[in-house]
Amino acid sequence: MNVYFLIAYRNILQRRVRSLMLAAAIVAVSVIFSLLLALLQGVQDTMVGNGTALMTGHVNIAGFYKISQSSANPQVTKYPPLLEYAKEKIPEAAVIVDRVKAYGKVISEVDSTMIPMWGVNMDQEANVLGRLELEASAESNSPGDLKKLGESGTIALFAVHAKKLKVGVGDMVTVSVPTYRNMNNTKDVKVVAILKDVGMMSQFNAYLNANDVRALYQSKPDSTGQIMIYLKKLADVPAVEARIRKDLSDKGYVLMDKDANPFWMKFDRVAGESWTGQKLDITTWEDETSFLKWVVSLLSVLTFILTIVLSIIIVMGLINALWMSVKERTTEIGTLRAIGMQKSKVLWMFMLESLILSISSTAAGLILVGIMSQALNAAAIPIESDAFKMFLMTNNLSFHFGVAPALTTFFSLVTFFTLGSLIPAFQAAKLSPIVAINQS
Amino acid sequence: MQPIHLENVKKNYQLDKVQVSALKGINLTIEAGEFTVIAGPSGSGKTTILNLIGCVDTASEGKVVVGGKETGGLTEKQLTDLRLHTIGFIFQSFNLIPVLNVFDNVEFPLLLQNKLSPQDRRDRVAKFIDRVGLTQYAHHRPSELSGGQRQRVAIARALVTKPQIVLADEPTANLDSVTGQTIIDLMKEINAAENTTFLFSTHDHSIMNQARRIVRLQDGRIQDKA
Repeated sequence: MNVYFLIAYRNILQRRVRSLMLAAAIVAVSVIFSLLLALLQGVQDTMVGNGTALMTGHVNIAGFYKISQSSANPQVTKYPPLLEYAKEKIPEAAVIVDRVKAYGKVISEVDSTMIPMWGVNMDQEANVLGRLELEASAESNSPGDLKKLGESGTIALFAVHAKKLKVGVGDMVTVSVPTYRNMNNTKDVKVVAILKDVGMMSQFNAYLNANDVRALYQSKPDSTGQIMIYLKKLADVPAVEARIRKDLSDKGYVLMDKDANPFWMKFDRVAGESWTGQKLDITTWEDETSFLKWVVSLLSVLTFILTIVLSIIIVMGLINALWMSVKERTTEIGTLRAIGMQKSKVLWMFMLESLILSISSTAAGLILVGIMSQALNAAAIPIESDAFKMFLMTNNLSFHFGVAPALTTFFSLVTFFTLGSLIPAFQAAKLSPIVAINQS
Repeated sequence: MQPIHLENVKKNYQLDKVQVSALKGINLTIEAGEFTVIAGPSGSGKTTILNLIGCVDTASEGKVVVGGKETGGLTEKQLTDLRLHTIGFIFQSFNLIPVLNVFDNVEFPLLLQNKLSPQDRRDRVAKFIDRVGLTQYAHHRPSELSGGQRQRVAIARALVTKPQIVLADEPTANLDSVTGQTIIDLMKEINAAENTTFLFSTHDHSIMNQARRIVRLQDGRIQDKA
């Protein structure tokens, strides 16, 4: 065994109580940091999962059709050739669906609310909308049946809207949409399903039959809102997006410039542009859910700040412990220097102590978090607060602890603690052998 | 080659605003294989001379040559290398590494030198532990040994690299007279067998009587080099 490792290891054992306290503190920081990262990953994964079920494919062929310079209709006209192209030329795709976009008011007997809506074809949606959970509302014991959206005159609402409108499955509501010619068209539809809320995203979605939406907007059957392409591997998104842009451009389609925002944030920009006719907009799931990025950013910042504060406290403890060790071992350091140990080796000897402590304690913390994540996910701890549900975009606390957050935790903490140990290690290395020996 | 040569060496210390002269012009040459004692009362400069020869301190004036190299012009790194390859140290308080056992303590300078193969290194360590009569204690930690045994380990550690010079600062001060005598006998025996130059400080008269050469110091000056 390397003698430096042996000295470091035995010195840690020799100062058992101090080492144990330090190790426990490092384990605690490692657990807190990893759990926060796991929660952050859980929120991100939930966001991707819900976002792609509710409002976007991994890659979308969308666009705007302008019948006049000041209009902006989120519509793709003559879409069947585009759908054919997607089915034939994108082998990475697992599922391809198209949805018609709508934006209007849903009116019940007691209230009304403005919601972005989607006209869906239920023949295509089994693996997309079908992933969402249903729930019974206060007005009806039945959560309904999402498949009934295949029938004309139906609507599926999220619980948040059903609660506001005080409707349940079987109740009638009126959908009113402003058409492209500044008229309002309305249709009475029956609530056929109440979807369980998935945080903030529930506010921005409701589902109608696709043909009903076309009827409301008086659109042709060959028009749609967007073609949503779900890939087998998320990593293929950039390549597929780039290929679609090139292929469609080569085919003579006019493409909008890349704008990483959801379609409903582009209305003003498009309406302000002078062109008319059809332009396609190739977007990704990240573009369409970009308005939710602040949640992840905020959680990341909170995680970072908390970890930095805790780590600084632990580093101070580590520096103090090593400092005491240097004081206690002054004669030993002097002796080692006298018999020929270079300063760099003294530095290494002390850093090794910190490395052993931080590597073993961080690893122990990570193992603990792995077990805790499994247990917490199995317990499916419900989030009671509506505000937190909305913020975290989920109904249960979900911890996704993978290799990436584990490695991030491991390397960042070990590096941080090792850098902290440099200060007392340098002090030790700087000790003159004569001064150190004379202290004996 | 003379392993130790001091020429008009002075050493001054600054104590607050007062300058103290520990050595006031020392001229001394020690030949290879000598067994020399530096004697004198406390404060006479014995330890200062050993520190200068041991390359753990530098002279204020004059020339200090150790192992053929003048130490004044050497860098910190070069001085450390000179200590590692030329000098063996025996300390008054033994100064063993408490967390290492006897074998590891003796092996440590060889690991720093990194010249021998693992097998040769182990053989050399075993030989020197046997030489100081501690084979059965090879796996004991220093805290499990008596004072005399610890000083034997220190002797083995100082000799294991086969240095030109062994410096011992009052090696028997913390030992009883019988054990102290055994340690001196051991050092004399090794001196005779290996032709290693021994230089040690003491103010114990019974030990001084056994040295082949005595350098007497008084107030930082050599009184007698008999």
